Amino acid sequence: MTAGTAPVARTPLRLRVPLGPNGPLGMFVDPMTWRALPYLLGSVFHGLVCFAVLVSVIPFSLTLAVAWVGAPLLALTMVAWRGAAMLERRLVGLAFGVRIPDPYRPGRGGNPLLRCGGALADPATWKDLLYLLLLPLVGLVEFVVSAALWAVALALLVTPPLVLSGVTEVRIVGELTVDGPAGALACVPAGLGVLVAALYATRGMARLHGQLAMALLGPGERIAGSARLRASRARGADAAEAERRRIERDLHDGAQQRLLSVAMDLGRAQVKLDSDPETARRLLAQAHEGAKAAIAELRDLARGIHPAILTDRGLDAALSALAARAPVRVAVSVELAERPPAAVESVAYFVVAEALTNMAKHSGATEASVRVGLRDRRVSVEVRDNGSGGALARPGGGLAGLADRAATVDGVLGVDSPPGGPTVIRAELPCDW
Amino acid sequence: MRVVIAEDSVLLREGLARLLDDGGIETVAAVGDGPSLVAAVAEHDPDLAIVDVRMPPTHRDEGLRAALQARALKPALPVLVLSQYVEERYAAELAGGGAAPFGYLLKERVADVTDFLDAVRRVAAGGTVLDPEVIDRLLDRHHTGGPLGSLSGREREVLALMAQGRSNSAIAVRLAVTAGAVEKHVSGIFTKLGLDPAPGDHRRVLAVLAYLGL
Repeated sequence: MTAGTAPVARTPLRLRVPLGPNGPLGMFVDPMTWRALPYLLGSVFHGLVCFAVLVSVIPFSLTLAVAWVGAPLLALTMVAWRGAAMLERRLVGLAFGVRIPDPYRPGRGGNPLLRCGGALADPATWKDLLYLLLLPLVGLVEFVVSAALWAVALALLVTPPLVLSGVTEVRIVGELTVDGPAGALACVPAGLGVLVAALYATRGMARLHGQLAMALLGPGERIAGSARLRASRARGADAAEAERRRIERDLHDGAQQRLLSVAMDLGRAQVKLDSDPETARRLLAQAHEGAKAAIAELRDLARGIHPAILTDRGLDAALSALAARAPVRVAVSVELAERPPAAVESVAYFVVAEALTNMAKHSGATEASVRVGLRDRRVSVEVRDNGSGGALARPGGGLAGLADRAATVDGVLGVDSPPGGPTVIRAELPCDW
Repeated sequence: MRVVIAEDSVLLREGLARLLDDGGIETVAAVGDGPSLVAAVAEHDPDLAIVDVRMPPTHRDEGLRAALQARALKPALPVLVLSQYVEERYAAELAGGGAAPFGYLLKERVADVTDFLDAVRRVAAGGTVLDPEVIDRLLDRHHTGGPLGSLSGREREVLALMAQGRSNSAIAVRLAVTAGAVEKHVSGIFTKLGLDPAPGDHRRVLAVLAYLGL
């Protein structure tokens, strides 16, 4: 049997170069630079063709629209420009590595008239048109900048060998000419400088163009927003499901076991009542203690599901109660003119509860503060302690669970906890969701 | 009688051991998870294993699986499974081969000390004990149509008690009738269900359970 070479995951070259991935060397070896360059040089031609076709056909078909001939022509043009935009999406994806999903609304049935109407009413169609009309302009700028920088860099860099091999005078740009070995040597640093400028310009333009394409060719806020909502709701549903399982587990393993043990003690006491009254009395006392412990456990469990004081009195009272139970001094400041929606209150409460629990368990903090305020129709919750820091939102951990909980109301959770402290946990919860 | 207990809640584990002790039953090992149960059975060769279905690490059915594993080690080991809720499926898995005696009870039955100790002794002696809740569900499921529908109310009661592993005389005491009357009902049940009367409590219960679809 021959030993094959196992595929080894290698760090990409650009991450290993001495000046780092964003240094000039990193830019030079990164394939993204070399994929972007041909697009930047060529897009102007694609743009010009599109522009020429559009500006000639659209007014023409509009003037014919009165005669019912222009309408099909216009529809055909629309199909063509949507096609061009699709091509552009793929090209931009290849060149800049930005994945742009098709933004179009789903079509309605097979009737071509209906489908044309649907496409006309789709804002994505008109954003495609805008992009294609802008493309020659943007492409021209990109072409001029890239071509000039790269040409000058190349010219400067090939000058020294040319001069050394006997060419007496090399014309770089316009009146700038180089002759003699001294000038040729000076070309090297100049050429390298322009090359670096060309690299960064290429990457910068690629980035800007990618963003422009994303904005105009990509799905707008409406769809992106709803997709994000779906995603976070789904995670929220998972969180709720996990929460229900935890409650079931707590009920079975906590309160139910305690009550069972109480029932067992009572059963044994019943059997021994006549034969061994002393033991029976002891068992009764034990059962009494057990019943009280079960009640306390049920009360804690209920508070873990939803604290009654939160419903009755709102965040200020509930958070003060939490702070009072914490092992260290916790300063609480709640500044809310009115009560936020119940779901937001609940998330805010559990963020503070979990943060304080974590603090008590891990941080060794000696004091903490909780601040809740309303800013731009968002409830901001901040828990700060002076402990040892190093808190992480591990998947499946308490903090990650809180992030999921925050996601159910479209909120976000931030954890800032450098080793050595202090730890700041901050949640931003939109109030008008 | 020597018993091994597998139960992860310390509270219940100790309680069970004391309760068995009250009844003169010796607990040779009390463990908190599945692998320890298998090890304890191998080491002590007990007369009975009392096993909680849910145990660490995942708190699902580790206990049941460990019990089946222990039984693979000692095929005739009587196993009494305690569960926080009853599932016919678990009972069916325990009945499995039908060779070894088993019991399947809701955990809360331990509170009725006398009945529980009685069940422990019956399983250890080779009988089968099913929780009344399981039997009720099975009877409900088979309520409509079929030969079960032809049973009289009293016969259904007798059948339920039989499925709990009780002997004719115990059924007679429970229902406050004569042993002869119970015998009459039992043969009526066997005839209506088309079961051959078999000797021994365990066989009798298995025949009933097989009929009920376990």
